Amino acid sequence: MSTQRLSMDAALLIDRERTLERIYAKTYPMVRHYVKENRGTDEDAKDIFQEALITYYEKVVYDKLTLTSSVSTYLMGICKNLWRQELGKRARKIGLMDAPVDEVGEEVAVDDEQPTATLMAFVEQLGETCRSILVNFYYFGHRLEQIAEQRGYRSVRSATVQKFKCLERLRKAVSHLSVDQFKL
Amino acid sequence: MRPLLTEVQLLENYLKGTLPEDQQLDVEIRLLWDQDVQQKLANQQLAYKTLRLFGRRQLRAELEAIHVRLFG
Repeated sequence: MSTQRLSMDAALLIDRERTLERIYAKTYPMVRHYVKENRGTDEDAKDIFQEALITYYEKVVYDKLTLTSSVSTYLMGICKNLWRQELGKRARKIGLMDAPVDEVGEEVAVDDEQPTATLMAFVEQLGETCRSILVNFYYFGHRLEQIAEQRGYRSVRSATVQKFKCLERLRKAVSHLSVDQFKL
Repeated sequence: MRPLLTEVQLLENYLKGTLPEDQQLDVEIRLLWDQDVQQKLANQQLAYKTLRLFGRRQLRAELEAIHVRLFG
């Protein structure tokens, strides 16, 4: 199916790679220009632009966002906000150089890494089929029809059953961890 | 579907709030006294959160690849 006539939001879910590449090619140069005009580097521009794209993608999937303005305008707005926040953070850091280190804050940041790695390993251990069904459905917003077709299931119902089997396996895997470890 | 899968599906729909009103209430009442169901619900929520983190990581890697292809 051609994605040319679909809205950008719909195209994103059906043909993610090409759609993201189109958005990237068009919008990244504008973001880079803005960031570099405002005391940032190429690397800064890349970081905030990718963060903005992730935010946009998640809004489309989880909040069913449909844009009325252009994607570029929308992303540019997010990037400007993110960059202003980042500059503020950096300014505060410089101001606090001589102040005592916020020990509590540091600890939280370190603790966070290990559980996340463990959780990621659970998804890895599911194997390719379950991993891709679950991630495509729950994160990338693919429809079950699309998943059934991709994986050659005879019906949407088979895909549904498979999806819940996989989810049950993941649920069982994470149950070995104490839930209180995570402030989710 | 096996009963266990039906239960996974039930809890998913409960969280989405798409169950018929009486079933939604049934689950809510069970959650008040049934620790096993409470635990399962908590684990299921952790599973969704895990998928979100995993997906986000994959998306970030895809964006890196695009960046290298276009502007590397």
